[in-house]
Formats: sequence, structure tokens, C-alpha cells
Amino acid sequence: MSALVKLTDVSKYYGNIKALEAVSLEVHAGEITCVLGDNGAGKSTLIKIISGLHQHDAGTYEVDGEPVRHSSPREALDHGIATVYQDLAVVPLMPVWRNFFLGSEPTKGRGPLRRLDVRTMRETTRSELLRMGIDLRDVDQPIGTLSGGERQCVAIARAVYFGAKVLVLDEPTAALGVKQSGVVLKYVAAARDAGLGVVLITHNPHHAFLVGDRFVLLKRGAMAGSYAKTGITLEELTRQMAGGSELEQLSHELAREG
Amino acid sequence: MTPATTLEKPAGQDGPDPGGKAADDRLVHRSLARRLMGRPELGSVVGAAAVFIFFSVAADSFLQWSSFGTVLYAASTIGIMAVPVALLMIGGEFDLSTGVMVTSSALVSSMFSYQMTANVWAGVAVSLVVTLAIGFFNGFLLTRTKLPSFIITLGTFLMLTGLNLGFTKLISGTVSTKSIADMEGFDSARVLFASHLTIGDIDLKVTILWWAALVAVATWVLLRTRAGNWIFAVGGGADAARAVGVPVSRTKIGLYMAVAFCAWISGQHLLFSFDVVQSGEGVGNEFLYIIAAVIGGCLMTGGYGSAIGSAVGAFIFGMTSKGIVYAQWNPDWFKFFLGAMLLLATLLNAWVRKRAEATA
Amino acid sequence: MTAATFPLTDTWAAGADHRAPGGTGIRREGQGFVAMAKTGTRAIGALLAAVLGASLAGCSSTGGKRAEERAAQSAGGGSGVDTPKWTVAMVTHSGAGDTFWDIVQNGAKQAARKDNIKFVYSSSNQANEQAQLVQAAIDQHVDGLVVTLAKPDAMKDVVAKAVKAGIPVITINSGSDQSKAFGALSHIGQDEKIAGQAVGDELDKRGKKHAICVLHEQGNVGHEDRCAGAKETFAGTMDNLNVDGTNMPDVQSTIQAKLQADKSIDAVVTLGAPFAATAVKAKQQASSSAEVDTFDLNAQVATALAAGTIGFAVDQQPYLQGYEAVDLLWLYRYNADVLGGGKPVLTGPQILTQKDAAALAKYTERGTR
Repeated sequence: MSALVKLTDVSKYYGNIKALEAVSLEVHAGEITCVLGDNGAGKSTLIKIISGLHQHDAGTYEVDGEPVRHSSPREALDHGIATVYQDLAVVPLMPVWRNFFLGSEPTKGRGPLRRLDVRTMRETTRSELLRMGIDLRDVDQPIGTLSGGERQCVAIARAVYFGAKVLVLDEPTAALGVKQSGVVLKYVAAARDAGLGVVLITHNPHHAFLVGDRFVLLKRGAMAGSYAKTGITLEELTRQMAGGSELEQLSHELAREG
Repeated sequence: MTPATTLEKPAGQDGPDPGGKAADDRLVHRSLARRLMGRPELGSVVGAAAVFIFFSVAADSFLQWSSFGTVLYAASTIGIMAVPVALLMIGGEFDLSTGVMVTSSALVSSMFSYQMTANVWAGVAVSLVVTLAIGFFNGFLLTRTKLPSFIITLGTFLMLTGLNLGFTKLISGTVSTKSIADMEGFDSARVLFASHLTIGDIDLKVTILWWAALVAVATWVLLRTRAGNWIFAVGGGADAARAVGVPVSRTKIGLYMAVAFCAWISGQHLLFSFDVVQSGEGVGNEFLYIIAAVIGGCLMTGGYGSAIGSAVGAFIFGMTSKGIVYAQWNPDWFKFFLGAMLLLATLLNAWVRKRAEATA
Repeated sequence: MTAATFPLTDTWAAGADHRAPGGTGIRREGQGFVAMAKTGTRAIGALLAAVLGASLAGCSSTGGKRAEERAAQSAGGGSGVDTPKWTVAMVTHSGAGDTFWDIVQNGAKQAARKDNIKFVYSSSNQANEQAQLVQAAIDQHVDGLVVTLAKPDAMKDVVAKAVKAGIPVITINSGSDQSKAFGALSHIGQDEKIAGQAVGDELDKRGKKHAICVLHEQGNVGHEDRCAGAKETFAGTMDNLNVDGTNMPDVQSTIQAKLQADKSIDAVVTLGAPFAATAVKAKQQASSSAEVDTFDLNAQVATALAAGTIGFAVDQQPYLQGYEAVDLLWLYRYNADVLGGGKPVLTGPQILTQKDAAALAKYTERGTR
């Protein structure tokens, strides 16, 4: 089975600063690829390349085997790659149903009478959220009044509804409590079960290991490792994330001084 | 637009089990009261009622049909500009050049017709193009430079103020334009921009119709079109909007051009109502438009507000400024009374909205 | 790198891409800028086309520039003296874009042309700024200085400095009481108060009982003086009404409201010519029979006087103030002539009515009355 999205030796420079160097990853349908890394490891640069906000400077980026270079998030969306950002997924003051269809609003009527199909929008929003297991009292409430987890779920439901083949999730659990994180991870797994390829960006190895099929570790813009689920244990993943050998050396140094 | 994939409800998820049919009923039967409570203009409507009652008691001549016509006219001249300014504020931006832009539009129209000895409709058309170009300039500069709109339009404001005076003196030789009242097309243009019709005792200016039409169109656009959805989105979260594919720059440039279009209407009213245009006019009016929009429930930070609210705001302003005259208060204190009334109306507005949100 | 800090700013972030290696010739966001610039160019092109198109389209056979040219008379004429090119500075308390001061300048320029004088004008309605402008004129060693003393205390020191520097000073318009004490040669003009008094008298003569004085710039000293002067001599009652002079529709609706509120008003006095025509509109809308009278003149007022829609205008001949001031400075330099004998030379007030209107129209049209 060929990869939905395949990055090979992708690099990105900001002037003479290497933000990302020779990173490779694959995303398959029905699988979750986790990208792990500390702050500044290049996770957000990677996500911006995949989602079309930025372009890579070297290497290849393939969708369904075809090399691509997205010039805007819209173009990436057209290739079936939907990105859910941790903080800018939604417009807080707008009602849930307007957020759900934002940027892809269905219309009816012609010419100057072309208008939003409000009824469809409201009803679809409600039914799609219900399908995800979110029962909203009122789809007219501003989305800012929902909890962080619910907002993530609305964004995921939106991406799925609009025919995403690949779902890119940027730190979906970072700002959430334990229970909320669990809810979001369930939806991520549900999306995977529905046949989507998922890229899960996180710095939490426990969350990653719960749902991930592949793991790509980033460190200072470069690949620090790439593993299949069978090739690594949670302990090893945690150790690598926590700094790996650097941490061991640090503990030696601290021990000697103490 | 059909979903490409369907999701099964994740097993064992928490949260209440959806109530199926019953839950759907809840959606359909949103009570009217609750819907009203959620509207941004609610507070301003209560404020307007309070101001109306106040002046009905305080000023004997306030409650006559002819006075009502005067108040509506005063409100409409502010209201025509308050509509696009409100849309712009919902879109998260300001425009400080609106006041003088109105004057620019009138000057261009008048001077073009006069200097070219053209039919005044030609001047009206040229003025429309020039004014829209000014709006485009504002929006283009804003989206390209990412500077705050406050700075950009402050620059435009000062430049236009200078251009208005400079060009008028250069072309006309005086600080006002020459009368175009005797030129061809003037009468028909006056019908469109500055006529009035008398219904019984009430004398209605055509600006009131323009105002009503603009409010209706703006409300339709805002609530029932994709463009309206985008206006709310670029004001409430430009980055989120861009990420889901909303054309943020185009939306903002469009908003600035809508402002310019209404400045053109106001400018033509100015010209055809007073025959000549003073080049120094319009300075300071931009704040009246913003005040009307804010009283009407627009958030200064963007993403929230309504066109109807701006109309109510303009109406409050018209009632207050003329009500003080009807009440025959000492004119030296006029500005103080005006400021105090506006502040009270806005406070009442904020208080009502807070109460509404608490019960919603 | 701004690109790293603001990853979502599409233009400038993309700008960083251009310096990056291995990425040339490929479509990227930065091209959005080029595309937008092209849209801009196209918009300007469309604009020009539209302007040209419109100018080719319908012409008006009535009014307009052509009518003016047909009736044009050259009022110009070159210099008629052989004195060297002296420089005269005029510093007034006018705000920007005031019709009255425009006419003053026109008079001064005409005199300057005749007397081979270089005329420089500056103004500020802020007293301290006006004083700074006078100081600037002194620093330039001008050959003559014309100032207004609307706020005499603020101008006292700087006028004294000019006199001390040997620059002949003539005061115009306001400050007739202080002119001599400050060391000016003459004062040309008329006090606002005197003009106001003339209006009060004229209203009495016309049998008016209740007048309003429309102030279009709140807190302007000269305007307050005009209303105060009128109140002084007027036998009936006179109310002040503040309007926003930069907002013509507001001027109209406020006067309208006032007339509706008090039906006993039988005279509306505006302090500036542009507001007289608006007051006439307001009066018609309010179906009031009040008479509209005004300070100062312009073309619209002259037409309205002729048509009888404005009762009278009180003029202080601003053209004369500008002309005389410059000409007197020339006379002083050339021949040490001084006019007035230490007393103000009055240019008004002159009450103009319907019978004067026909003769005035020509002059108001060209901006000299």
C-alpha cells in the first residue's frame, strides 16, 4: 500500500538558518504517524510545509505518489490534506455552525440572491457533531464557549466532513487536561478507523504511544529517529524525548557535583 | 458536498447520549426571546428608547412629525457612513479617513464637472471611481504592509485633508468649489442624492431611503452571504480564517471599498444639497461614524456587531444632538450634554448586553 | 528573521524565501505580492480610462468652467513700480480653508503684484504657533510684516521683537485697540464687535424681535465677539446656537431643529458666508418665515441677496484689508507714508442688501469680495 503523504529529505531554510533538515516521513491510510520533538525541534515548520503555509527548499513532498508544492492552505486542502491547529482552529466569537463551514460555505440561489444555505449549514453541523458524539445544546452558541477539547473535535469533524484524506493535528492535547485529552485521542483514533491518514504532532510520548503506528523524532530541525510501533517501547520513546543520552550525561554531571 | 468518510461514534465516549429526535426539536425551537437576547444591537435599542422617552419629556417640540423628519435626516447623514464603518469594525479594522473622504468625493465630483464643463453625471461617475480607488488604496496598503489600520488611515486622513484644500485652491482659486447648480444634469442628480418628499407633516430626505437601503443590504450580506461569514471571520480571528481558506486580504480590501462607496453617496449628497463644497469640511466626522457603530454594539476589537446596530447608534446620535436643541438648553454646554448622553447610552447598552448574556 | 516570528504573515514571510537557496523560479506566496501589484496597476489603468471616458462623455452646455471663461476678464496686470523686490510676510490666526482669509490673501497678492513685492502667507489658529510663525518671518529678515492680533497677549512680545528688528508692522482685522501700543504703523480692518453691532442695528431697523446667532466654530474668539456685538445693539432677544462647521448636514439639521423648537424666531444670523445658504435650506425645511442674514460675503450669498432669500450681509471687505496692508508697507518703504494718523483705518462694516447684489456678483465670483 503506497503512502498518502510521503516526505523525503525535506529541508527548510529561513535565510541562513536551517529550520528543518532532511526530514522524511510517511503517512498511510488508516494509520497514525506521530511527530515528536521538544520546543524548537522543527515540528511547527514541518506542519506548515505539509499544510501549505510554507514551502520546502529541498527534498520531495509527494501526495499519492505525485510530487507537490502547495502555495496555500487552500491548495493543500484541495489535495485532501486538512490541518487542525491547536490555537487557530476556530474563530471564537462566531457560532459553531458558521465556524464549521468557514471558508467552504454552501450557498443557494443565483446572482445577487446567492445566499448561505443556513438551514443545511445548521443541520449538517449538528448531525456531523452528533456523529462524533458531541451533543451541542445550541449550534448558535459562539464556539469560544465550548471547551478546548470540544473545539478540537469540531475542527476534526469539519476536516473529516470536507473529505480530508490526511488529517494533520498540531498538538491537539497540549492545552488540555487528562480527561479532555482522552476524549480528543478517541476522536483521533476514530478518524484513523474511518480510513484517514493522521499526522499527530505532539511532545507527549504517552499520548503518542497510545495511538501511534509510526514515530518520527525531531531534534533541532533534524531527524533523531524513525520507528514503527513494533520497533520501540514507550520507555525508549520517553527516554529519547526527555533528551536521551544528553539527559544521562547531565545526570552524571549533576551527580559528581552533588 | 458530501462527507467522504463517515465516522462511527467512538466507543465508550463520555458526555450525554444524544437524545435523537428530542434534541433536534431543541434546535428548531429556539425561542424568539433567546434569539433577541443574542443580538448585538439589543442594548442600543433599549438605549434609543430611553433617549427617545427622555427628550419626549424634556423637549416640547421633540414630539412632532416635522421634528421627527429633522432627527431622521441628522441620523441618516451619520448612518449612511456608520453602516460600512460598522462592517469594517466587525472585520477588525478602523478607518480614520472617512470624514474627509466624503468631502474629497464631493470635491472631485464638483470640480470635474465644472472644470470640464461636463454634464454633472460625468463628475458623479468620476468621483465614484476616484473614491473607490482611495478605498482600495487604504485596503491594499493595509493588507500588504500589515501595519495597523489606525496608522494607515491616519496617514490617508491627513493626506486627503491636504489634497482637498490644495487641489481646491489650485483649481478653483478659492477654498470652496464654484456652484454647479446651473449645469446640465444637476437637477436629476439632485433628485437621486438630495431630494425630499413630504408625507403629511413629515418631511423625509432621500438620504433616509439610502440609509435604510444600505442597512438592509449590509444586514443581508453580513448574515446571509459567504462574504458576511468572512467579514466576521477576518475580524474575529484572521489567522484561523486564513488557515481554512478565507481570502483575508480580499475581504479587507472589499470592506475598505464599501466604506469608499458610502463616502461617495454621502459626498454626492453634500454636493447636491449645498451646491458648493467647502474644502475644509468633514474633519472629525470619522469619529461620529465610529461612535455610532460602537453604540450599536460593534466590538472595538472586531468580530462582533451588526449593521442594524449602527443604524440605531446613528439614530441615538441624531436624537441626542437635535434633542438638545429642541430642549433649548444653553448652547455653551451642548458638547458636554452630547458627550454625557452618548456615554449614558453606551453604558446602558453594555449593561443590557451583560444582563442578556447572563440569562442566555 | 521575521519569517520565523510571524509565520502567518504571508507576504513578508515569503520575502524571506527569496533569499533562500534552491527555491528560485518556483511558484510561491511571494508572487501574491506581484499579483496584487498588478491588480493595483490594472485598477489605476481602469481609473484613468474611466476618467477619460467620462470627460469625453456628456458635456454641459450650461455653467461650468467654459461659462466662466466666456465671461472672464483679466484682473491681473504686471508690476507698475521700479522699486527693488521686497518681501512682505502675512501671519494670520486663520484656520485652514477659511473663505474669508482666502479673500484677504487675494487682495494682498494683487497689491504685491502691483508693487513688485514677494508675498508670503502663513497662518495658525493656535496663538503660540502664530507667534512662532511671526518669529520665523523675523528670522528671514522680511521687509514688512502684516499680522492679526486675535489673541493680543500671545502676540505682544513677538511683535515688539519685529519692531525692534526694524521691520515695519501693520496689523489687520483684529486688534485695533492694541495695534498702536505694540508699535504697529497702522491698523487696517474692523473689529468683530463693531461688525456685530452693525448687525444688531440692522436687525432693529428691520423690526426683528427674536434672532439666533449661529456659531460654526465653538470657542472662536472672533465669532463670540460678533455675536456679542450684535446682542449689544439688538433690541430683541438673541440666542446663540452652536453647530459643527465641518459637517454641513449637521449645520442644516441643527438650525432646522432650533427653528422647529421655537417658532418665534424671525431672524437667523450666520457668522460665515458658506453657512448662510445652508441656513436658508434649513429655514425652508422647517417652514419658518425667519429672515437669514450673514456676516461676510461669497458668490452664493451674493446670488441669494439678489434673489431675496438672504436679507442682508455685513461685509468688512477682506480684500481691502489684505490689499491695503501690503500697499501701505510699500508706501512706507518707498515714501515713509503712514495712514490713519494713529487711529484704526476701518474697512467696514458695510451692510449689503438686495440692491447691492447685482454689482457684487462679478466680484464674489472671482473671489475678491
